Amino acid sequence: MTSTPELPAAKPNVAWRQIGRPLERTDARGKAVGTTRYAGDYTMPNMLHVKVLRSTMASATLRRLDVSKARALPGVACVLTAAELPDRLAPTDIPGQTGQQRQKTDQQILVRERVRYFGEPLALIAAETKDIAEQAMALIEAELEPLAGVFDPIEALKPGAPVVQGEDNVVAAQKVRKGDIAKGFAEADLVIENTFRTQFIEHAFLEPEVGLAWVDENGVVNIRVSTQVIEHFRYVADALGVPHNRVRIMGALVGGGFGGKEDVTVEIYLALLARATGRPVRLEYSREDSLVGHGKRHPFVMTYRTGVKKDGRITAIEAKFIADAGAYVFLSPYVLLYAVVAAPGPYRVDNLFVDAKAVATNNMYTSAFRGFGAAQACIAYEQQMDEAAKALGMDRLELRRRNYLRTGDKISTGVPIRSAVWTDRCSEQAWAALGEPTKVSGPVKIGRGLAAYQQSYGRITWLHDTSEGWVGVEVDGTVIVRSGVTDIGAGQASALAQIVAEVLGVTLEDIVVYNSDSATTPLAGTTTATRALYMTGNAIKLAAEAVRSRLVARAAKELDVEPAQVDMASSRVFIADHPEKSLSFAELVKLCAAEGIHRSELAMFKAPFTDKIDPETGQGQVHPDYAFGAHAIEVAVDTETGEITVLKSVGAHDVGQAINPAAVEGQIEGGAVQGQGYALSEEMIYREGRLMTPSFSEYLIPTAMDVPPVKCIILESRSGLGPFGAKGIGEPALTPVAPAIANAVADAIGVRIPDLPITPEKVVNALRQRSSQPQRSAGR
Amino acid sequence: MSREKTIVLVVNGRRHRKAFPTHRTLLEALRELGFFDVKCGCEKGDCGACAVLVDGEAIDSCLTLAWTVEGSAITTVAGLGTAENPHPLQDAFSKLGAVQCGYCTPGLIIASESLLRETSAPDDDDIRLALSGNLCRCTGYTKVFEAVKEVARASTIGGRK
Amino acid sequence: MFAKFDLDRPKRLDEAVALLANGNGAVILPLAGGTNLIVDIRAKRLAPARLVSLSRIGELRGISCSDGRIAIGGRTTVSDLLRSAEIARHGPSLVDSARVFGGQMVRNAATVAGNIACGSPAADLVPPLLSLDADVVLTGPSGSRTVPLAEYFTGYKTDVRRCDELITEISWAVPAAESANRFYKLARRKGDAITITGVAVGLTVASGVCTKARIALGAVSPIALRAPGAEALIEGQALTQALIDEAGRRAAEECHPIDDVRASADYRRHTVHMLTRRLLSEAWASLA
Repeated sequence: MTSTPELPAAKPNVAWRQIGRPLERTDARGKAVGTTRYAGDYTMPNMLHVKVLRSTMASATLRRLDVSKARALPGVACVLTAAELPDRLAPTDIPGQTGQQRQKTDQQILVRERVRYFGEPLALIAAETKDIAEQAMALIEAELEPLAGVFDPIEALKPGAPVVQGEDNVVAAQKVRKGDIAKGFAEADLVIENTFRTQFIEHAFLEPEVGLAWVDENGVVNIRVSTQVIEHFRYVADALGVPHNRVRIMGALVGGGFGGKEDVTVEIYLALLARATGRPVRLEYSREDSLVGHGKRHPFVMTYRTGVKKDGRITAIEAKFIADAGAYVFLSPYVLLYAVVAAPGPYRVDNLFVDAKAVATNNMYTSAFRGFGAAQACIAYEQQMDEAAKALGMDRLELRRRNYLRTGDKISTGVPIRSAVWTDRCSEQAWAALGEPTKVSGPVKIGRGLAAYQQSYGRITWLHDTSEGWVGVEVDGTVIVRSGVTDIGAGQASALAQIVAEVLGVTLEDIVVYNSDSATTPLAGTTTATRALYMTGNAIKLAAEAVRSRLVARAAKELDVEPAQVDMASSRVFIADHPEKSLSFAELVKLCAAEGIHRSELAMFKAPFTDKIDPETGQGQVHPDYAFGAHAIEVAVDTETGEITVLKSVGAHDVGQAINPAAVEGQIEGGAVQGQGYALSEEMIYREGRLMTPSFSEYLIPTAMDVPPVKCIILESRSGLGPFGAKGIGEPALTPVAPAIANAVADAIGVRIPDLPITPEKVVNALRQRSSQPQRSAGR
Repeated sequence: MSREKTIVLVVNGRRHRKAFPTHRTLLEALRELGFFDVKCGCEKGDCGACAVLVDGEAIDSCLTLAWTVEGSAITTVAGLGTAENPHPLQDAFSKLGAVQCGYCTPGLIIASESLLRETSAPDDDDIRLALSGNLCRCTGYTKVFEAVKEVARASTIGGRK
Repeated sequence: MFAKFDLDRPKRLDEAVALLANGNGAVILPLAGGTNLIVDIRAKRLAPARLVSLSRIGELRGISCSDGRIAIGGRTTVSDLLRSAEIARHGPSLVDSARVFGGQMVRNAATVAGNIACGSPAADLVPPLLSLDADVVLTGPSGSRTVPLAEYFTGYKTDVRRCDELITEISWAVPAAESANRFYKLARRKGDAITITGVAVGLTVASGVCTKARIALGAVSPIALRAPGAEALIEGQALTQALIDEAGRRAAEECHPIDDVRASADYRRHTVHMLTRRLLSEAWASLA
């Protein structure tokens, strides 16, 4: 097994043979013709069907839970309540590979006494049919006594507020202290202060949570589930009280994740019932279950004070964040950390002061979502940049240009950026691509906006992230790739095939990727944090290169040249300068097989490992590296009705190196539309903790009629830490979109609406109350 | 009268006999029959993942009771083509990157086919309108529009219609 | 979905009506496109003992034009409206509405009668039909009766239809040559969304004067309704911008909106004013 070498410098302007091409993804065809099996498409003989009974109150005491009538219903195999479970908890922390100690953030599996959020599970039912399970659910009598709850994080911070759990409602706090904030503001000619608010957001993946579990002949609980993280097998085992090797999680191609399948979903319920009944059990969430039952994107309240010189240079930023963590901690501390690291944006800010708190409420708990706190920060810092430009009377792009970080500059946490920083190029190109403004008349006004960003890729460096991958060549010259990586729709598995095809000189058709099985594929870590390509791609590339070097050594002997003179392409092995002197890849592999030359490799890639940052100053390394780019938007705003139409949407991103440009475009286009929903139409509304938007007719993601064709500009600095110099695009695609739209709307109507989503009603109200703008620009 | 009876559903050209209760939706019935290419996304007609053709028109199978389409010709995405012999829409969606997580893809292809059977040369507005009942969270629709336009263009030129 | 109900699929209208009449107090409901009904049953808002599916009754589907009237069979789908040259010519506001009605699959299943019978104040076909002075034909065991659509609804989700009657036809007189008719739906999203404010207007002009005005409002009162005060303001007048604005203002006063998750009552009133004004201006300009 190889270990991680020093990363070679990526060779610029190399003509790749397989990567960098918009190949048809290996998973596309099966999905288009309907033969792909998702986790919900597996069944087993003698299988039971599961339903989850949920609390109808957000803060309550469970006085009585009578399941006797449900148990007595013919066809009901099992009803579990907290009374039947040992007093174990469901782990909710970020999954790690190297035995990091978890934060004390665990959640009760089923409500024992205290209900803390609307929809918290009370009981699990397993029955012979779905119909019977549904009938049994109606027979359970749950007596809930309301308890005073708290539903606003600012209220929750006040003395005397109801405490959701533990000693107080502050579940996490993060700070940054860099430079001298007082000096920075003293140097400023202008100080701009604004408060921005964001809303609860739902992932709205199209495939609701689903899984199938059974106990096998070895006593292992097998779970086939739609998840971003097969390594939750450890948490499931902990919740069951069994050794880690007694739980196996198999993924399937996932019908969308976006962070919403990063936490454990149905796995523990399925495991408990499979063990309790000895039968296979299947649980498929309804859409309402899904909307009620998984964590949301954190709403943030973000107050910024930005000091600027007349020439546009930023002298100081003070940012204060309050995030609604909801009823359980989940990934709130990490989301808050990402927000804090991103607080100044892609700008050089020498004097920085950030205070952030995540606060418990009886709202739905909040956790991972594409952009992971950094997206919320971008919504604030990029609107703040436009307000600063307005106060200075300076062009918005020019103000940004004068402040952009460059390679070698220190980010918020005091660590210099080592990779390319092409924010400037991305901004220029995105803006230019908007072209001539659309002509309108009457009450419709046109506006334009841009937002740039800094977004990490790769996980927090003190989590000591690793990824393992295996590449092997069959005797006939076909190739097998094994990686634990989950494919959540972005082409994670296909990208691995493309990398291996590049290294071994074969084509995608020659390769099969086996992925996402915690028992049989090498553990590759999570598909989260824009890390799958970076980590897994590197691991697989290392493995493929090791195989290649052994094959090349044998080929050199055969061709009577030095190994350095041997090249591989189009399934042939040849002398680079004399391509006519060659043998086929399959012939070479046969030779190797006959001579016992090792034709496979298990490789591990390790991200940079660091110590934790200083908690008092927030200084130190947090992430391996960062991606930079920009999104530009043109909107039309109907000033009479407040309706907003996005006319143009352009994303320009330095992705380092596109492995598959069509897949990269897909990410940019999807991120643009998800960001548009974030800005304009999406909002999970909770009243006293109760979800008021429990379906897709209330929670409105953009449809085909709401979006313009998205234009993608892919830049390749080949400076990233990923394979071939790749950075990442999963989260970056989304992050700048909502603030770019907010800036475009403000540009169109001359008033800023600081709270997302920017609904038609808010536009109308803002226009009616022009005089009470939130901005307080104080000249000095 | 009985609340369960054996009905015949004609799916992708083949007859399937099975007993279903009155409340069984076409979506549930098709999945019980093994047509797992019909996806369940919301069960209330908001997302379009479960779209199938009934007598040539796309409908949400989650809003249709199985009994009420007895005798109709039902087509799922798997009935349009196979990996070896794909329907032009399936081919274009695959080649042009219009498929990401793929969960909405069967419904989008069915809705697109329903459009193309009615309008051989749809404009952009026609396509948007025809696909407005199919939610997609991954692609942003851009490559979906391109795929549908590509097929419409090819069929107009090649006289497929 | 789980629910307990009997299901009939009669082939003739009289059979369907007889089944509906045979309830003995049990809830028996007609099932057409199912795009509302199945959702309500799944959510347990409705628990019928029996459904009478109309899917085999071909005579209820179709659009005809004769004797100066357009007639739509009750089971005509929203997509059928979009395919019809007669509707495009003689009911353009219905086309405006049908285009933004749900998504394609819902349009292919949902019926005109079903949209009326569901009783939702946000039912998108109703304001256009009100603006066209449509009549509704109700057919029961003892025959048919005709009710003006404007008198059909009696309150929030209540109407004059007896439980053994079906809406079998919707019809209106072919509008005069010099007339304009349009509809606009305002929602939080352009595709497939529940209406915040829907406004339909119909104007007929002769000799430079508005001889007939219809203003119908959706989603801003317990029922979709007309704004008779606003209509009266402009009938018999040559329209000016000031008069049009006044009519929009009056229409806003004539509705009774509520606050909900989509919008506030205040915003709904504002948009009734704005949209009525805009549609009237456009309609007037098109006739000038």
